[in-house]
Amino acid sequence: MSKMMTVDILSSIKGAKESDTVSKLFDVIKKANTSTSNLGNNSNNALSLDDLREDVVIDSSQIEKDIIMENFPKKKDGYLVVAKVIEE
Amino acid sequence: MNKEISCTDLVQGKLDLLKTNTHNTVNSLLDNIALDLAKKVDAKIGNGEEIGLLEGIPFGIKDVYMVQGTYTTASSDLLKKYKSPYTATAIQKLLAAGAIPLVKENCDSFGHGSSSENTIFGAVKNAINPDLVGGGSSGGSAVNVAKDYTVFSIGGDTGGSIRQPAGYNNVYGLKPTYGRISRFGLMAYASSTDCVGPIAKSIEDIRIVLNVMSGKDVKDQTTYPSEKISKENSIAIDEVKSVGYFKNFIESDAISPEIKADFLRTIDKIKAKGIAIKELDFFESDTLVSTYYTLAMAETASNLSRLDGTNYGNRIEGDNLKDTYSITRSENFSEETKRRIVGGNQVLSQGFSDEIYLKGLNLRDQIAANFEKDFSEVDIILSPVTPNTPPKIGDSLKDPLAMYLSDAYTVGFSLGQLPTLTAPQGTATGIQITAAQNNDAKVLQFANFLKQLI
Repeated sequence: MSKMMTVDILSSIKGAKESDTVSKLFDVIKKANTSTSNLGNNSNNALSLDDLREDVVIDSSQIEKDIIMENFPKKKDGYLVVAKVIEE
Repeated sequence: MNKEISCTDLVQGKLDLLKTNTHNTVNSLLDNIALDLAKKVDAKIGNGEEIGLLEGIPFGIKDVYMVQGTYTTASSDLLKKYKSPYTATAIQKLLAAGAIPLVKENCDSFGHGSSSENTIFGAVKNAINPDLVGGGSSGGSAVNVAKDYTVFSIGGDTGGSIRQPAGYNNVYGLKPTYGRISRFGLMAYASSTDCVGPIAKSIEDIRIVLNVMSGKDVKDQTTYPSEKISKENSIAIDEVKSVGYFKNFIESDAISPEIKADFLRTIDKIKAKGIAIKELDFFESDTLVSTYYTLAMAETASNLSRLDGTNYGNRIEGDNLKDTYSITRSENFSEETKRRIVGGNQVLSQGFSDEIYLKGLNLRDQIAANFEKDFSEVDIILSPVTPNTPPKIGDSLKDPLAMYLSDAYTVGFSLGQLPTLTAPQGTATGIQITAAQNNDAKVLQFANFLKQLI
């Protein structure tokens, strides 16, 4: 993968550019001292594998399904319309 | 409840106040749902049935929470007509306890802001001085409580979004320990610090609402079981023996002289009551703000990547799939949201991630280790909520860096995932009371102590 991806492509936002304000925040991080001691590698945000929920499919209620359909942006002749996927 | 006013009249009165209010706190009113529920409560009272603590109590909901069948816009163009298919766990628990939802409240779009100006519904105006901002991102919620339009409101706090608007409008606002309340059904901003929490006018109301919403939820794997905080426990004001404060927060050039003087005066009063006071060392404000925003932007870039107009949202058609994605996102996201998404993708991309994102994670670990050390020496850490009083409407949008830096006193506690409460006392924008993880009760105890002291 040698192709360079710019932030507008990565973000799916037309014409997006890096912000000077945000760059100032990043500069502070670049200059900050990092600790080499073992701090647990951010383990405070890890979940225990012993406490995962059951891997089962739970059917949605009819009202939930109806609202999901209502939220769909475009419909035609009873079908849900999506953008053309096969391209390029 | 005495029967001098019916629940229906109470709810209708609050709905009328919300409808005519000029502070831009309302994204949508839930009048039909609210009045239906109020009638049921009146019927129960009429039948002589016992009612619960929250039964018939009208409350507000920041417009980032799912409530089945209601518009949930995140104050954005993209989701302007999006309806929630299901209800958030925290809100469901309040409904089950009989509380009555009145309103989806204005806020910064997707929680991106500290002033509630980054919204399609108009800037939220401060409850005390409408020329000033309401604070953010839960600005509409704090103003509604301050103006008595709601008895309590449910905000969301990622880097200070409950505590700062609570401070700006002189009410209580609690960010509980991360994981105490389920995030299921809260639109994700930065998942590792997002917290659900109450805003109210009394510590007792905060305690009751916190107890109802807390608990393990299989739909949010980061939740943990917690014990209810009893009234007796929350007023056990002799439990706190030592208090610390970060001297670099107070010695900073950025803090207003009045807030500094008022804070130090409060510290003196606490000391005079025989509580040991300890000055603590902490990270510089710019390091805290930069660490928080680096991680929050990375997380929000990831979380908001799902918003592409395919299955829901205001899709704008382009020539092909990728074009549709990018036009939809470009046209529907605010400038602030785009700035954060782009910043997040920047730090997560090859070449930047080691230098910035991973370094940010390392700094977060250091901050957490610092808190662990501090709480082995003191019971409570106090700080001002904000370095300054609320800015005028319009100023924050002109200077986003100043807005980011105004979060200096709140973001550190978010990174530490600690329980922390704004009490509307001590300084013009309140005092922030923080304890070690899972010590939410101690925060309420100290708040009760402070209430008696000042």
